[in-house]
Amino acid sequence: MEANTPMGTNWIGLYTIVRREVSRMMRVPIQVFVAPWISGLLFIFIFGHVVGGRITEIGGHRYLEFVLPGIVMMNVVNAAFLQSSSAIYFSRFIKFIEETLVAPLSYAEMIAGSLSVVVLRASVTGFGIMLMGLFFDATHVASWPLFLFWIVSVSAVFGLLGIIVGLWSKSFEQLNMPVVFFLTPLSMMGGVFNTVGMLPDWLRWLAWANPFYYFINGLRGAMIGFDETPPGLGVGLTVLLLVALGATVWRLYAKGYGLRQ
Amino acid sequence: MPAPALSISHLRKVYARGTVAVEDISLTVPEGEFFAFLGPNGAGKSTTIHCITGIAEPTAGKIEIFGIDAVKDYREARRLVGLCPQEFNVDPFATPRQIVDWMGGYFGMAAKARKERTDMLMERFELILHQKKQFRELSGGLKRRVVLARALIHDPKLIILDEPTAGVDVELRRVLWRYLAEINKDGKTILLTSHYLEEVERLCRQIAIVNKGLVVREGTKDEMVGEPGGLEQAYLVATGAQADHVAAE
Repeated sequence: MEANTPMGTNWIGLYTIVRREVSRMMRVPIQVFVAPWISGLLFIFIFGHVVGGRITEIGGHRYLEFVLPGIVMMNVVNAAFLQSSSAIYFSRFIKFIEETLVAPLSYAEMIAGSLSVVVLRASVTGFGIMLMGLFFDATHVASWPLFLFWIVSVSAVFGLLGIIVGLWSKSFEQLNMPVVFFLTPLSMMGGVFNTVGMLPDWLRWLAWANPFYYFINGLRGAMIGFDETPPGLGVGLTVLLLVALGATVWRLYAKGYGLRQ
Repeated sequence: MPAPALSISHLRKVYARGTVAVEDISLTVPEGEFFAFLGPNGAGKSTTIHCITGIAEPTAGKIEIFGIDAVKDYREARRLVGLCPQEFNVDPFATPRQIVDWMGGYFGMAAKARKERTDMLMERFELILHQKKQFRELSGGLKRRVVLARALIHDPKLIILDEPTAGVDVELRRVLWRYLAEINKDGKTILLTSHYLEEVERLCRQIAIVNKGLVVREGTKDEMVGEPGGLEQAYLVATGAQADHVAAE
């Protein structure tokens, strides 16, 4: 049987990983898309509209415009992490990951396939929330290239993190631990609802040490041009995380950690 | 002289916790052979198969498929192998058609070729009526047919069947036997593990018996069947088990 592998890359195999994951995603559209959109809408309505009506402008922007990038980023992060961690864990748990292990797929193709779906799901989630922001006249994009950089790169960072957790987890309990103890608290504390200047002095170091602070500020800068972080620091940190996590995932695949017996 | 379909040389597999699953296995399966790989539970059959197909990493030894190193040149080697595993390692919410089609995709088959081949396999294994149901809704026999169809989607030259008829009713077992005999006749090499010695007698020409991670006996089916007590006695003696009813005879 002739296989289509121009330049040695199994493009059809890679695309099949994407097709399979999209099909899996579309079995639970309410869980995957509708739930984060509703949660985003509630955040927009309560924190942006109800509470925001009592807060003065921040940096010349309405409070709703200020919080929207953070709400988008929180949901992008969650979508990215949940997609890759659950896909890997479920396929290990049911053992159908063996379908890809016996196929002529390289580690790079397997990782690229997983990350493509991560970026797709996170982007659709993020754009859905931005669409809702339009109804409140709160969605703006100051720089499309930067906006796309933040959506794609942060999705990939948390997609890679999700792969690591999916490979490591031995139970559904372990799979959910990073969301409960890491993602939700750090994203809430990462400047979604406030500037670092609003925090008491002793709490500011916590924001500066929180990577989410840079992601949220980066996206806020791309959307409304308001960014508290030093120029380039957030981009540098994100690229560094991408390289470090990418290398870790590559190493785990090469060792067969959680994959091969 | 053409390379054998499968050549295993001093394979050893030790799991992370120190369990030695395969001690030292060497065997050669010539092209076109219908080869039985027998042994009691825990003898190392499935682990050997996992090492051949990439599900497990060999600790030591060499595996070649049609002369291609199964570890170093794994992409080329895997194109030549189709695996029908013992367990249903399948997404239970996917349909038989999706399962077979996706596998073709992983092997790099273009959409048109996948569709033609999937259509043929759905028909051949009488899955047409069930092709849009979820895998979890199918009976055990239908599930077994789906997994076999999945193993054949990319038209592999070497087909590895790990207890393909376990839990299958008599009628389907006979259908599967007929089909396996046909594809072997078409030139495909088949490596079969089974606990049904009747199945082995009916289908296979060469037999290797493993026990405790070692090949303890290898020969032709005719040779073993021709011995007093037949294949069953040869199997029991090779694996060190003396069943009472055989001993009493």
